[in-house]
Amino acid sequence: MNPLASIIMSSTLISGTLITLISSHWLMAWMGLEMNMFAIIPMIMKNNSPRAIEAAMKYFLIQASASMLLLMAASLNFMYSGQWTLTEMNVSMASLIMLIAMLMKLGMAPFHFWVPEVTQGTVLLTSLIILTWQKLAPLAILFQITPSINVNIILTTAILSILIGGWGGLNQTQLRKIMAYSSIAHMGWMAAVMIYNPTLMLLNLLLYLIFTFSAFTILIKCSSTSTSMLTMTWNSYPLMVSILLIILLSMGGLPPLTGFVPKWLIIYELIKNTNIAMTLTMSILALLNLFFYLRLIYASSLTLFPTSSNLKFKWKINTPNKMYFLPTMVSISLLFLPVSPMILMLS
Amino acid sequence: MALAPKLLTGIHGLGKCQMPSAISCLFLGPRFAGYCSSSLQKTAAAPNKALDPQGKSGRDLQSPHRREAALDIPSPDEKPEVSFDKAIRDEIKDHFRRLKDEFVNHWIGPEGRPLHEVMLEQAKVVWQFRGKEDLDKWVVTSDKTIGGRSEVFLKMGKNNQSALLYGNLSSEAPLDGDSGHSGYCAMISRVPRGSFERKKSYDWSQFNTLYLRVRGDGRPWMVNLREDTDIIQKHNQMYSYFMFTRGGPYWQEVKIPFSKFFFSNQGRIRDAQFQLLLDKISSIGLTLADKVDGPFFLEIDFIGVFTDPAHTEEFAYENSPALNPRLFR
Repeated sequence: MNPLASIIMSSTLISGTLITLISSHWLMAWMGLEMNMFAIIPMIMKNNSPRAIEAAMKYFLIQASASMLLLMAASLNFMYSGQWTLTEMNVSMASLIMLIAMLMKLGMAPFHFWVPEVTQGTVLLTSLIILTWQKLAPLAILFQITPSINVNIILTTAILSILIGGWGGLNQTQLRKIMAYSSIAHMGWMAAVMIYNPTLMLLNLLLYLIFTFSAFTILIKCSSTSTSMLTMTWNSYPLMVSILLIILLSMGGLPPLTGFVPKWLIIYELIKNTNIAMTLTMSILALLNLFFYLRLIYASSLTLFPTSSNLKFKWKINTPNKMYFLPTMVSISLLFLPVSPMILMLS
Repeated sequence: MALAPKLLTGIHGLGKCQMPSAISCLFLGPRFAGYCSSSLQKTAAAPNKALDPQGKSGRDLQSPHRREAALDIPSPDEKPEVSFDKAIRDEIKDHFRRLKDEFVNHWIGPEGRPLHEVMLEQAKVVWQFRGKEDLDKWVVTSDKTIGGRSEVFLKMGKNNQSALLYGNLSSEAPLDGDSGHSGYCAMISRVPRGSFERKKSYDWSQFNTLYLRVRGDGRPWMVNLREDTDIIQKHNQMYSYFMFTRGGPYWQEVKIPFSKFFFSNQGRIRDAQFQLLLDKISSIGLTLADKVDGPFFLEIDFIGVFTDPAHTEEFAYENSPALNPRLFR
């Protein structure tokens, strides 16, 4: 892309999210979301293939519909309560419509169908942005309207997201689709704890962003988009596959890695609120996610995966992709569990 | 009166299909047209005589109907089962059974097989012609739909070991004042359907070459691949390549790498070319449009995909800044 266009798109993307994060008026929040959407559409269509254009069209349709629902909810709230402030969401119908709009924006079940398609249809870097940066603004809105959210709907959506995120990712060989289903499942965990302890939701979001960013950075460096390509990376980038092992196990929520912290604290919070059946279901469904992470780990680092060709290695070509902050992210993914008493104290 | 042969063929079809095609056509209209059309198409697409002159073609298309109708009159002792409710119930049960199979297959792995088996697969037969049910997976079409005079038929070959696509190509343009050109015949695979008629697609991302075992008559054919899409405008897009047949008595093995397929939209080859992505293939088609009037035939044994380890090309064409400056901005 033209560097000037690239700078304009990136700055619009960043400023759109920031406007939504800092706004207290519904119209400003909506404006930030729209700026976000318009900035990322050309980034999705960067390589101009029919698949990328289809992904951009699907993304635009979903996000535009969600923005319309958001405006409708805000207008409804204003009509009945006279309030434009984000935190003053007192009308139940408006709150419900707003929740649905944010679920569509986040790609949570039952509005999740676009996430794997759009993530698969574009390049790895844009998929990273869609799965990380684009989650910030809708989650910020949900964080602020938490007191007025319908409990039954958010918990149902959470369970459905975890189920669909785990079930859908089971048979995927394309890495972007695996990360998309992983995102759906993680959003489910965040939604489940949102109504009980919104701070934990933020912690889960922060750690999810770190894990996803690290995983995508490794995939971009290795230029792998499918499992079979990942099976060949042990020879070119042996350290990368070890790091990928740590990150995927962490995403699966295995102690003693950092990924155990959000799961443990969320389960603890739900049990404190006597929501034991749901906790049990969520813990069991998390095993589905762990299964396909482990399968990726088996394919890339733990075993010399059988290939159909005689060639057992890939020529290493030095790509100019830089791995920004990867050592920091990996350290956090690996070593953050002992810090959890401090987190408990803070929350 | 005209409905009598339809009703009789429908009763005959009840044993095979889930519901009587005549009753379904009457009551349910286009919704279950797919079930009607396959049985009707079989009788229309497989006449006993081949390559009729144009004057007799109309009569010959009707006579198999009449002949089959004569064969299908049941004896007075048999009572044909015609039950609309039972047909609907069977249909619903079939869809739920397919849904259950989808869940079970998803648990086992992609396409119902373990993942490592799918990942290590090097060759796969996708379409083969061993029985009438294999012909149901294909649709034949010609320029008759726009008023032309080409005819195309599909039937099983000798000993049910192949399919024979044959007919008569005519490039005489239809006299509708609009079309200037005509003359095509095509055989297109039906889109695979899952439960509740949801579209499915083929994932050929493990493979890199298309393989066809055919025996032709020396005419050049075009192989077209379409991708699965939710957007209507993309239904006009396809990826094509040529298949030149020899006329000999020996079977011909045609191997076309997927990197060679070029992109076309609405029948026109585009300047901006894109690689064929293999994870969502919807259908394959074989088209004959070589502007040569006369009879043609193509015998197909099977169509498959395989991985050619010697073929490392990813995409055979490149985009040029002169033709497409927009792509290079």
